[in-house]
Amino acid sequence: MRKKGRGMATIMFGFGYGEGFPDHSIAEIEITTDQKIKLRTAGADVGQGFLTTMIQIAAEVLKIDSSYIEIVGQDTHQAKNSGSTSATRQTFFSGNAVREAAEEVMGMIYHHGSIYFNSNHPELTVKDGEIYACDNKEEKISYWELAEIVKQKGDNLQAEASFFPKTYVPDEKTGQSEKNYVAYTFMTQVIDIEVDTDTGIIEVMNVYTALDVGKAINPQNVHGQIEGGTVQGLGMALMEEQVIKNGITINPDMTNYLVPSIQDIPEFESTLIENEDSDGPFGAKGIGEPTLIAACPAVANAVYDAIGVRITSLPITPEIILNSLEENNN
Amino acid sequence: MSKRYVGKDMLKVDAESKVTGRAQYPSDLKFDNCLHVKIKRATYPHAILKDLDINRAKNIDGVVDIITAKDYPNLNKFGLIIKDQDVLIKMGEKMKFMGDALAIIIAETEEIALKARDKIGVEIKKLEVITDPLRAIEKDAPPIHEDLSGLCTDYLKPNLNQKNILVDHYLKKGDVKKGFTEADLIVENEYRTQHIDQLPLQNESGYALYDDKKDEIKIWAASQWLHDTQADVAQSINMSKEKIRIIQTAIGGAFGKKEDVSVHIHLALAALHTQRPVKLEYTREESMIAQSKRHPLIIKAKTGVSSNGYLTAWSVEVIGDTGAYASSGPAVVHKGMYHCTGPYNVENIEGTSYAIYTNNTYGGAMRGFGTTQMAFAYESQMDILAHKLNIDPAQFRYQNAYITGSVTPNGQKLGKSVNTKRTIESVIDLAKWEGEINK
Repeated sequence: MRKKGRGMATIMFGFGYGEGFPDHSIAEIEITTDQKIKLRTAGADVGQGFLTTMIQIAAEVLKIDSSYIEIVGQDTHQAKNSGSTSATRQTFFSGNAVREAAEEVMGMIYHHGSIYFNSNHPELTVKDGEIYACDNKEEKISYWELAEIVKQKGDNLQAEASFFPKTYVPDEKTGQSEKNYVAYTFMTQVIDIEVDTDTGIIEVMNVYTALDVGKAINPQNVHGQIEGGTVQGLGMALMEEQVIKNGITINPDMTNYLVPSIQDIPEFESTLIENEDSDGPFGAKGIGEPTLIAACPAVANAVYDAIGVRITSLPITPEIILNSLEENNN
Repeated sequence: MSKRYVGKDMLKVDAESKVTGRAQYPSDLKFDNCLHVKIKRATYPHAILKDLDINRAKNIDGVVDIITAKDYPNLNKFGLIIKDQDVLIKMGEKMKFMGDALAIIIAETEEIALKARDKIGVEIKKLEVITDPLRAIEKDAPPIHEDLSGLCTDYLKPNLNQKNILVDHYLKKGDVKKGFTEADLIVENEYRTQHIDQLPLQNESGYALYDDKKDEIKIWAASQWLHDTQADVAQSINMSKEKIRIIQTAIGGAFGKKEDVSVHIHLALAALHTQRPVKLEYTREESMIAQSKRHPLIIKAKTGVSSNGYLTAWSVEVIGDTGAYASSGPAVVHKGMYHCTGPYNVENIEGTSYAIYTNNTYGGAMRGFGTTQMAFAYESQMDILAHKLNIDPAQFRYQNAYITGSVTPNGQKLGKSVNTKRTIESVIDLAKWEGEINK
């Protein structure tokens, strides 16, 4: 018999290394004379869209189409430290460094532009890679032309920024810390499942998610993180386990180590909560890790809802379901 | 204000190169005159290395050389937070898990390197294999790392074997005894989670090349943190950081697994040793055995609540199996503990956490970093309490949820961007949850 169940989980995640660990990211922006904007970051894009996010932030601040922005510096000898792509920190840390570097460059554009137009900052318009006096749209110069002028003066339209917020080491005895993590992300998920009481197999039907993202720099990529993270969490909830017996892994291959496949993926509906209220770029928060975290308890709670059995160890395999049902019957 | 680029679904910059196959993963790189590297690993999870016979393997046609600890006696240990991992196990010293490296085989082809690897003779003296962290903390359990000490605090319980405890952490807020006295209902459970592999599609893989003009080693391999990997490689082989250049390749997934050093140091040594380009690629089996896992946690959670459904006290004990090496272990287990109440107001909290050495594959970073395991515990506790109190689980969460000004278990007052309640309100609408929230 198939029994339906529904479970909820609300989670939080303190992101960044926190705990007083020195955590920072350095980024550099340069407007070059060859119609390019170089965005220098050593941050790793592990597939989640980090570099795309950085380009969108730079394009927004620099008011220019994202196609002009080129990533450089994916090399220890070409860029300074951006910190790790971990701890759900890159959008917040590198995003802020990129935003600051871009704002510095924007300041330089206004500074040198105002000299060129013999005017002052408020009387200039800067957009789409062009600078002109507000009262005369006919006479324009491009960012690249300005870069050339600045170069002849022995300077560059280039700036580097480091974002380096402070956290505090927790007390050794009590764990108390005035600021332990830079910020927290919250998420609530409802997961619908069906439990086959004859086979013990759990099918995940629907996943409903509300994610406190602050501001989605790239909404599609945020939805991608929700879906990818949740599916990885469902793997942990239902099937994944590296079995190590007496120090020896007995399933070191993908035949015997099960992960969700395309057939295991449920329907998703998600809401992004965008209060734009964090200290991240444009109010954004980190969401990489939080998207995985609610799946295990939401599934366990749905199992209880479906068959009245409380499972306290993972993964919740068909064997565990069948054994629990039998115990309950006895 | 409306934005033009932020908040838009811009196509990922690497989408086209990945879809068309132009993206350069390590294995897509080509070097002329390239040698192939394989690693001979431990033959038992906990044993003293008595003898290593590489002669038969070395005589195979096409084997260029085999590096053992004897060839580089001054290598330093490596590791993300604590340097406790050997580049190569020395004669007379211990292998501590099945991923430990005994020898680096360098050959003209991958097949020859593999053949040579299997011809290496290993003599060992077996020791007790400690696979259960609860055994590791018993006083009579043999120490896995004899040479490490001083990482535990003064607050560690004297009945525990501190030799096998990597780190211990504590949490104390309010008065937990008073909180449980005030509770009308107390629920106590033990939760257990498993070893998990991050399972990125791309296994650990890379190339290295020694540039004798610059006296520089170039390594092409994925890393979640280029400059940290660079620093760890440099210190382990006693070279200046500026002489180790790491160039990022396309990364086929990471999820925490590509924070630790994998192929990098062995590649650097092989490149230095042969002065030719070298390649090392793990198999899936090797990747699963030799690289980090999600920490299995044993979480004992005790939660007190008033009859009208407000949390009064929460205590946890967390035991984390950090395996043979520290990796991210010194940070993972207590991060889980620091999230022990989830996003709920609790005045009285107490917690203890331990990261414990065993002879299992080492625990490291994986998406959620201890808090994933902890959420399984706290959200199960919340659900159990709601059902016992006969309150809608959504309502129970909502009425205990953080608001601006709430204080975390660490005593951090949340001044802004606390949208917990909104996530509950939104998901209830989205999922058409039965029952309404009493705001």
